[in-house]
Amino acid sequence: MSRLPTTFIFGVVVTLLFIFTAMLAPLVSPYSPLEQELYAGLEDPGTEHIMGRDRLGRDILSRIIHGARVSLTVGFVTVTVSVVVGTFIGAFAGYAGGKVDEVVMRVTDIFLAFPGILLAIAVMAILGPSLNNVIIALSIMGWTGFARLVRGQVLSLREREFVLAARSLGASDLRIVVFHILPNVVAPVTVEATFGVASAIIAEAGLSFLGLGVQPPTPSWGAMLAEGRQFLLIAPHMTTFPGLAIMVAVLGVNFLGDGLRDIIDPRE
Amino acid sequence: MKAYITRRLLLAVPVAWGVVTMVFLIIHMTPGDPVAIMLGESATIADMESLRSELGLDKPVLEQYAKFLLNVVSFDLGNSIYTGRSVAESISTRYGATVELALASMALAILLAIPLGVMAAARKDTVVDRVGMALSLIGVSMPSFWIGPLLIIFFAIDLKWFPVSGRGGVESLVLPAITLGTAMAAILSRLTRATMIDTLGEDYITTARAKGLENYVVLFKHALRNALLPVVTVAGLQLGALLAGAIITETIFSWPGIGRLTIQAINARDYPLVQGCVLAIALSYTFVNIVVDILYSFVDPRVRLR
Amino acid sequence: MILFVTRILLLAFLCVSCVERQKTPPGALVIAIESGPRTLDPRLATDATSVKIFDLIYNGLVKRNDDTSIGPDLAISWELATPLQYRLNLRRNVKFHNGKEFTSADVIAQYKFLIDPANKSPHRSSMLMVESVEAPDDYTVVYNLRQPNAPFLGNLTMGIVPSGSGKEITENPVGTGFFKLAEYSRDEKLLLTANGAYFDGPPKLNSLLFRIIPDETVRTLELESGSVHLIMNPITPDLLPRLAKNEQLKVFKKLGTNYSYLGFNLEDELVGRHDIRLAIAHAIDRESVVRYILKGLAKPATGPLSVANRFYEPDVETYEYDPEKAKSILDEAGFPDPDGDGPKVRFRVEYSTSRNELRKRIAEVFQWQLQKVGIGLDIRSYEWGTFYANIKKGRFQLFSLTWVGISDPDIFHYIFHSASFPPGGANRGRYISGEIDKLLDKGRVVTGKERESAYAKAQKIIASDIPYVSLWHSVNVAVSDRKVTGFTVAPDESLGSLHTTRIKR
Repeated sequence: MSRLPTTFIFGVVVTLLFIFTAMLAPLVSPYSPLEQELYAGLEDPGTEHIMGRDRLGRDILSRIIHGARVSLTVGFVTVTVSVVVGTFIGAFAGYAGGKVDEVVMRVTDIFLAFPGILLAIAVMAILGPSLNNVIIALSIMGWTGFARLVRGQVLSLREREFVLAARSLGASDLRIVVFHILPNVVAPVTVEATFGVASAIIAEAGLSFLGLGVQPPTPSWGAMLAEGRQFLLIAPHMTTFPGLAIMVAVLGVNFLGDGLRDIIDPRE
Repeated sequence: MKAYITRRLLLAVPVAWGVVTMVFLIIHMTPGDPVAIMLGESATIADMESLRSELGLDKPVLEQYAKFLLNVVSFDLGNSIYTGRSVAESISTRYGATVELALASMALAILLAIPLGVMAAARKDTVVDRVGMALSLIGVSMPSFWIGPLLIIFFAIDLKWFPVSGRGGVESLVLPAITLGTAMAAILSRLTRATMIDTLGEDYITTARAKGLENYVVLFKHALRNALLPVVTVAGLQLGALLAGAIITETIFSWPGIGRLTIQAINARDYPLVQGCVLAIALSYTFVNIVVDILYSFVDPRVRLR
Repeated sequence: MILFVTRILLLAFLCVSCVERQKTPPGALVIAIESGPRTLDPRLATDATSVKIFDLIYNGLVKRNDDTSIGPDLAISWELATPLQYRLNLRRNVKFHNGKEFTSADVIAQYKFLIDPANKSPHRSSMLMVESVEAPDDYTVVYNLRQPNAPFLGNLTMGIVPSGSGKEITENPVGTGFFKLAEYSRDEKLLLTANGAYFDGPPKLNSLLFRIIPDETVRTLELESGSVHLIMNPITPDLLPRLAKNEQLKVFKKLGTNYSYLGFNLEDELVGRHDIRLAIAHAIDRESVVRYILKGLAKPATGPLSVANRFYEPDVETYEYDPEKAKSILDEAGFPDPDGDGPKVRFRVEYSTSRNELRKRIAEVFQWQLQKVGIGLDIRSYEWGTFYANIKKGRFQLFSLTWVGISDPDIFHYIFHSASFPPGGANRGRYISGEIDKLLDKGRVVTGKERESAYAKAQKIIASDIPYVSLWHSVNVAVSDRKVTGFTVAPDESLGSLHTTRIKR
């Protein structure tokens, strides 16, 4: 393997940094993310509060550090759920082929054609707004991409020699799928998943903009950005820092994905 | 060709059916009562019951569903509960605004993404490549509700190049199109780069270069042509998504599109209008994808439509 | 290939954008509003935006003055012939926008429309107290009531449409007001032009353009860039200092008739208890919210009626911010704090609110304040349809809302009478008090001092029973371009002053 590209190293470092920050949030954050001091609302960045304070006088840096928990949880859990569901359905459709495949693909078409926002509103209205339900809503929209990807891979793999060989040796379908086909799907799915993490983080911000995100006082980057938007003209620091946090995290996770692709796929 | 189009259009029918069924289920599961919202709090139970029966909401869900399907099949989307206007008409007056915005964003994204992607691929692993791809990631990571107001402040207030918001002439289209197109440009440029890198490794490119063709010709004439295939597909998917996903951009730029109409219909529990909007969005999405697949066959003669 | 795609896209682009679109007409005053009117038919509308625009297009029989008393409009005078009979004399020579003359026949037709269940008017219940309406001649209308009803005239502020008006009014309104509709594109804009034949003289402006701009930052920027001349509530209080500093702009303020409150579900086993509600009332620091979050654009309230209301009773129980008192009340109530100042709470309460950013922010402040006395608040912000459905069905513990445009104290009947449980009323917390029921029934039939004392007593009882924690009355705010003169903000946000508003070139 050639030298690792700097972007990949950057990606790994940033991603790990964010994950550790999220895990150690209570230890590393300088203030409580919830402590309000109303009289200091919208305070500019300064020496005590280096990223300034939000409308209720809470320390923005501390909120970003705690917000990493929510945003990364949403990002990683949504993608994990989507990958598991999508892989299962995609593998099933691709391996079964024929009518089953046709039906499953039409179902994914339905989900793709369905406006995600309506689904999100419905999920929040039926189940109530919460972090878990944000993940559920995003996963309902997220699995289709993985299902299509896996199905495509399985379709091409199942006629390959090693699969045919396994079958001729009497391996069961389940065994073939789990031990022979899926391992070959891991690479493209992993790469796709890192991009999925980034889009889930951004989607959570979009839901917050529509008021469908996690509920207060839990800070999330998306909710902070959505909240700060009202004060864009008088307190730009309220949007700049959570915006930067999202940007750096997305950059990091995507560089990680790019790097993984380069490593996994030697053609490039 | 004709057979292919017919087949694809026929396949759109079960998808449309699935979508309307799903939206029907969802809105009937979601709490909220159009009758209560419409009549206000002073309404008596009798008034509410009579309106409910007039709207057919007192019937068993299955019966409502059957009636709804029958209406859809006969191209009757019904009337909005609130305004009394026909749903088809309400949607048609808004649809144009959304299509206009989606096409403009798409055009912008493609014009930006393809040259950027080609350049990054041609100079893979150089500073140009890294910076270009980092820029595209920044583009994808800025939520539209943040980028939109920033664009307004800079281009409409400070430079006074474009109007702040609203739908007017071409100039009013620019900022919302950038807002909506940025994320797409990012996705497309990354994809173009990836497929270009793949293509540039092929034998015929090496041959073309060996023949002494100019780099520019090789890149744009030989390589890009083939690299574009997946880009066209993804662009099609994205265009479909734009038709539905413009809600936030429409809100920020006071753009009277179908996204805002959908949200309002949902908030008011205007069932017929919600159903109509979702159906319109889903059909456009499906239709765009059929068109893309057909385009595909023009671009690449190797692709045969089945 | 790339050229091919580009060409197609550009063609499509140009084709859709070459459509002619109307620009702002010269001399028009441009007003930015958050959302469009739901309908332009006054007989069917209940939303605030629609009602505001009706002030321009329509006239009611009577209108509400700034001090909440009733003044003449299409009716120039009236008398209470018997306690059951109102006799109104109508204005003569008033023409609708379509040229038709306004007469008593239009009033009768409107009454018939409202009470016909087939028309599904949300205002039907306001006319059910009427036994019959008669028109002795073209310019006299007589309302016969089933029982005496002191606030009855307040039901006659609704804009009058010409007889025979049907569904078309929803989008093509015809009224008698000083502006008439010229162009309407839903959720985009609404253009009104002067009604030269208005009975009280034409307006000073030749046209008025409402632009629907949902985003507040964008509304503000439009105003600052001069493409919009007037914005009104809602304006984020924090933006006002910036707007006030701008030499091109003027800021208007006026104490409004809106009342914000926390409502309790009295059937709930926790907040149904008086001591718990009392503790919550003491644990909330309204003054700080008014000062720091609302930037003084609100006055702490002692009850639904504001100081400006004629029926306002000052001598009621109030609940000062006193967290220590709240703690001891909760201790006595049998809910000791498990860990003092620590994160553990005595109990948790769910707080429902809408998606409005300001409301959510205030909810977060209350959450923090209640946490300090050991009450955990779970904020649930719902999209409006869900929120409203939950409130109506009694699926809540604590919620926050605002009553808009409180004028006559008869609203107490609507929100606190035991006969007003939803549907059919807005006693959402299921508050039951025999004494209150009697007082509110009495307030409907008696007049003068007797009526005043009935409501004074009712206000005292309600304040001590705490079915609501009173929060504040908000101040109405408008910001206009300096070029705009003659505009004033009304307590009920009426746009009536646009009749005399001018805009300098």
